[in-house]
Amino acid sequence: MARWRVGVDSGGTFTDVCLFDEEEGRVEVWKVSSTPDDPSRGIAQGVEEGMRRVAPEAGEKPAAPVSYFGHGTTVATNALIQHRGVKTGLVTTDGFRDLLEIGRQKRPDLYDIQADKPPVLVPRDLRQEVPERVRHDGSIDTALDEAKMRAAAVALREAGVKAVAVSFLYGFIRPEHEARAVEILREEMPDAFISAGHEIAPEFREYERLSTVVLNAYLGPVMRSYIERLTPRLEALGMTATPHLTQSNGGVIGFAAAAGLPVRTVLSGPSTGVVGAQAIGKLAGFEDLITFDMGGTSTDVALLQGGQCRLTSEAVVHGYPIKAPMLDIHTVGAGGGSIAYVDAGGLLKAGPRSCGAFPGPVCYDQGNEEPATTDANVVLQTLNPTHLLGGRMAIRQDLSKAAIQKLADKLGLGLMETAQGILSVVTANMARAIRVISVQRGHDPRDFTLMAFGGGGPLHAARLAKELDMKRVLVPRNPGILCAMGLLLTDLRADFAATKLLPLVQGSIGEVADGFATLVARAEDWFAHEEIAPGDRVLTRTADMRYAGQNYELAVPLPEGPVTAATLDALAAGFEDLHRQRYGFIAEGEAVQIVTLRLEATGKVRKAALPRFPEAGPDASGAITGQRPVWFPEAQDFVPTPIYRREGLKPGNRFAGPAIVEQMDTTTVVPPGMSARVDPYLNLILEVVA
Amino acid sequence: MSQAVSQATAPVLDPITVEVIGAALSSIVEETGEALIRASYSTNIKERRDCSTALFNAAGETLCQAEHIPIHLGSFIGIIPHIMAKHRVEDMRPGDVFVGNDAYEGGGTHLPDIVLAEPIFVDGRIAAWTVNLAHHSDFADRGHAHIYQEGLRIPPVRLYRAGVLQEDVQNLILLNCQVPHERLSDLRAQMAANRVGVQRFQALCAKYGAETVLAAADELLNYAERKMCAGIAAMPDGTWHFEDVFDPIDTADNMPFKVSVTVEGDSMSLDFDAPDQRRAGINMTYTALLATVYYIVKSVVDPSILPNAGLARPLSVTARKGSILNCEHPAAVNGRLAACQRVSDLILGAIAQAAPEKVTACSNSVCTVASFIGQRKSDGKLWVYLETMGGGSGARHNKDGLDGVHVHTTNTSNLPVEALEIEYPLTLLRYELVEESAGDGQYRGGMGLRRVYRADEDCMVRVDIGRLRSRSWGLAGGGAGGHGAVECGPGVTFQGSVATLKAGQWFAVVSPGAGGYGPASARAPEAVARDVAEGVISPVHAKDIYAFQS
Repeated sequence: MARWRVGVDSGGTFTDVCLFDEEEGRVEVWKVSSTPDDPSRGIAQGVEEGMRRVAPEAGEKPAAPVSYFGHGTTVATNALIQHRGVKTGLVTTDGFRDLLEIGRQKRPDLYDIQADKPPVLVPRDLRQEVPERVRHDGSIDTALDEAKMRAAAVALREAGVKAVAVSFLYGFIRPEHEARAVEILREEMPDAFISAGHEIAPEFREYERLSTVVLNAYLGPVMRSYIERLTPRLEALGMTATPHLTQSNGGVIGFAAAAGLPVRTVLSGPSTGVVGAQAIGKLAGFEDLITFDMGGTSTDVALLQGGQCRLTSEAVVHGYPIKAPMLDIHTVGAGGGSIAYVDAGGLLKAGPRSCGAFPGPVCYDQGNEEPATTDANVVLQTLNPTHLLGGRMAIRQDLSKAAIQKLADKLGLGLMETAQGILSVVTANMARAIRVISVQRGHDPRDFTLMAFGGGGPLHAARLAKELDMKRVLVPRNPGILCAMGLLLTDLRADFAATKLLPLVQGSIGEVADGFATLVARAEDWFAHEEIAPGDRVLTRTADMRYAGQNYELAVPLPEGPVTAATLDALAAGFEDLHRQRYGFIAEGEAVQIVTLRLEATGKVRKAALPRFPEAGPDASGAITGQRPVWFPEAQDFVPTPIYRREGLKPGNRFAGPAIVEQMDTTTVVPPGMSARVDPYLNLILEVVA
Repeated sequence: MSQAVSQATAPVLDPITVEVIGAALSSIVEETGEALIRASYSTNIKERRDCSTALFNAAGETLCQAEHIPIHLGSFIGIIPHIMAKHRVEDMRPGDVFVGNDAYEGGGTHLPDIVLAEPIFVDGRIAAWTVNLAHHSDFADRGHAHIYQEGLRIPPVRLYRAGVLQEDVQNLILLNCQVPHERLSDLRAQMAANRVGVQRFQALCAKYGAETVLAAADELLNYAERKMCAGIAAMPDGTWHFEDVFDPIDTADNMPFKVSVTVEGDSMSLDFDAPDQRRAGINMTYTALLATVYYIVKSVVDPSILPNAGLARPLSVTARKGSILNCEHPAAVNGRLAACQRVSDLILGAIAQAAPEKVTACSNSVCTVASFIGQRKSDGKLWVYLETMGGGSGARHNKDGLDGVHVHTTNTSNLPVEALEIEYPLTLLRYELVEESAGDGQYRGGMGLRRVYRADEDCMVRVDIGRLRSRSWGLAGGGAGGHGAVECGPGVTFQGSVATLKAGQWFAVVSPGAGGYGPASARAPEAVARDVAEGVISPVHAKDIYAFQS
């Protein structure tokens, strides 16, 4: 019987498979090496091996007992970073084909005159212009020249492009020209992947929309062929459940819908981590969270208030602007592999250069001689000085010491001070990233709990919390597989938007109501396609608003019920509250505008329920496996520190810092002045001792 | 570690604390900048981001400037000393906010850049200043014979006194503005930004102790100085000369600009020569010259040097008083950016002889501007719209220049067509790269831009364009970039830099291309083939210059 919910997070090094038994509430984890040349192989292998372990009775159809399949993927991200999309053509309004290259006419770096822009994804000779022009009020200045449009399609076909983007000025206000262009393209090149502005990103600001549509076309065939390889592999394993993919907004959609919107999956990986953090935070009773997902080369941070992560409608990803609903995740190029060095002015720096998985930090003894963050932890003995990965990997502390001593000599500091200094610099960089998503958005980090995961999060979280005056750190039970777990804890979700420039006056009620009615109709179609029962459909409406004259909007939630005069009053009040929170003032008497109507559609699905474990009393001594000296800055010295085995910790257990908690996929540091306790879900909660 | 420091009586500084506090100061100026842009109203700030934010120490030295616009550093350098000269420190109170813009008395470099400066009090003393600048797109259609024509001159005066708005002062300023409603809204956004700066700096002092923060800030100045010295010391000693001409649309002649750059050990001196200041808005004050030098030397020597006052210490800058490059009252200065751009490339031309791999060939070397003013048919209100255009950036020793970007001392975004047409009675007909505008070479220069405007209501337009008679030079045998130009539709004629447009008429502004690097004969055939395919050059050009047969 189908009773297993399966989440698969396919990363650069490992493919994590999380299996949840709906009947017994049991969670199992399986890890296999990723297969970067064709990730679908590793995924199929992971699912097959994982399922054979938990449900051997399924025999030759190991995936038959799978009731739900969720997947977070880096296929779109990697194709973008490595510029491995397809040969793509572009059709624009006459006079505007170079906009893709000009962008906002800013140079890539303010001071570095040797810097370059990211490559343009469609070269100039594949950018076709056609006569047509719509005006900002929706009137037609120049009708679409269909003969020229057809000639453009023929030229692109003859040039051998595999995908075409179409984006005209004001296509979001009046889409007929774009729609007709798409028809002609389909007639002339039936096999091409075609993306149009009014379908992919119907919002104003032509360059950012254009960039989004081009990316979607560029990545489309890559994603489509990936899905076409993965689907039969899963079917061959006997899986009958509909497979789902995570989007950058943290929600999942079916493979078929995802294949048409690859631009919405570029943050698929990190967004699943946020979703996992959200669910675990809710269970643990902490809904105001800052997530801290620290890996080898980069770190992702996000803020959740009341259990919700802010959704942005636009961000620059790997140098390309994207207009799509994305969780507000901020990434910094610093992680365990970041290399520390002394620069020409004599200051200690860490990152963004990284030693990667190979050769890895100096302590791996694989040829790298420049110390990384990990080496600093090995010298301080916050990390085990003889082996990592639960004993699977031997390391050389002497090499780490020698490398850091060289830096110490340059700085005129001691070895331990320098090692601690590397961590202070890394922590300052992380704190700066967290200020971007908290202070810059009007939130005080002191009101939040820091949720640490990824391989390095728990190791650095307590220091980071201290830097930001945060009082509490939450380390989930399995910090290394939180992303795969997140896939089993999320609902289906799609976002719909329409730009409508309207004054916030009673006369706009009709247009606001009509606008939302159109979005709701689209959402209902999507629900039907995803086979969501009417009782499991949730719709949330927001309006992006600003003072007439401003250009950045604030997203204001709409109250439930039909759009009436009271709705507009509530919007006005909500807007003023947000404006005051963000900017410290309101402009009384100024006209307010609604710019974009947004609808978030959520289809409730059955989610993994994490088991509660029985209370076992405060005594944690049973989990102690030994003791080692660990260097703490509070003491400016080594302090004898007990080492706990994470698997041995039980609900209710309490212990005081200094302490180290080791588990296969991470190490948690509990510094002096903090205490730790274990909650019924086996989360570890660190708190500042009052 | 930080705790130990804050408890000590005298600040004990180590390189790590300095680095940590440096990251916090950068974070503060970024946050203030973000608040300013997001809360602002005028297209020039909210979309084009023509604004800057910075922190200064009590002595008026720049501690940190956000990465917005290099020339604004010049508008900041003088502001605190000018405030100090006119106001007693002991009379200053928390919540005092000074406003100023004057190029001679207010610390500015041209009048539209209005600066708001607020002292940050910690433990009853001024610990630092939060300062921001916004280019207010106003003061249009007034003339540029001398500074009195160019707008209202504001010496540093209190706009707020202990947190209370001085409405008299505000009313006086607003009555002198053509679009007072926008000015008021943008001033409010500037206030919101300073509020962020004050709160965040005070929080930093509460955490580390004011003395530690200030000592670290001093050390960051020393740090920038050391990095600048290290970068200069890596260059060979010697003196290098370079000469170019300055040919803005407002003057009929080509004016010679000269520089001598001398490197001696770890210091650098730059001496400029230029003709006497003119009765046109093309002159630059000494602070604008300093900002230009700081920008370009930092870019060449080490782009990662912190943008603070320490980087200036190894540099000495001289130019004759009363010349275009060091003008005196009452010279007009509105279009000083054109001269700043030319000076930036002038310095590169000299340094190219010492460190050819660190520079670029000449970029478009102008700041191309179109400013419109009209009166709306619907309500009779005045509208003013200004925009600047990028152009080619110079080729490098191992790669092509960039096409259609803002270079050197300026760095503003374009306004989206879909925002421009909603706000102003203008339609954009084309926005494109200019074919045949890139300087030839082994590595080609960047292409210029063309922007074609149609007036939908009657209005006036003024353009600042350059490289009309001269061209941006190449290096090491590279060719020169294309000219700047205006192109007129039927019925449109420019009187100098100004034209009157009737509804339905169109004209175009063309920005210059940039110089190439290395001889054209050394360009890879694949690169020439790509240029032909992409229309950067014609097949005939490829055959004539590159001996390329397609």
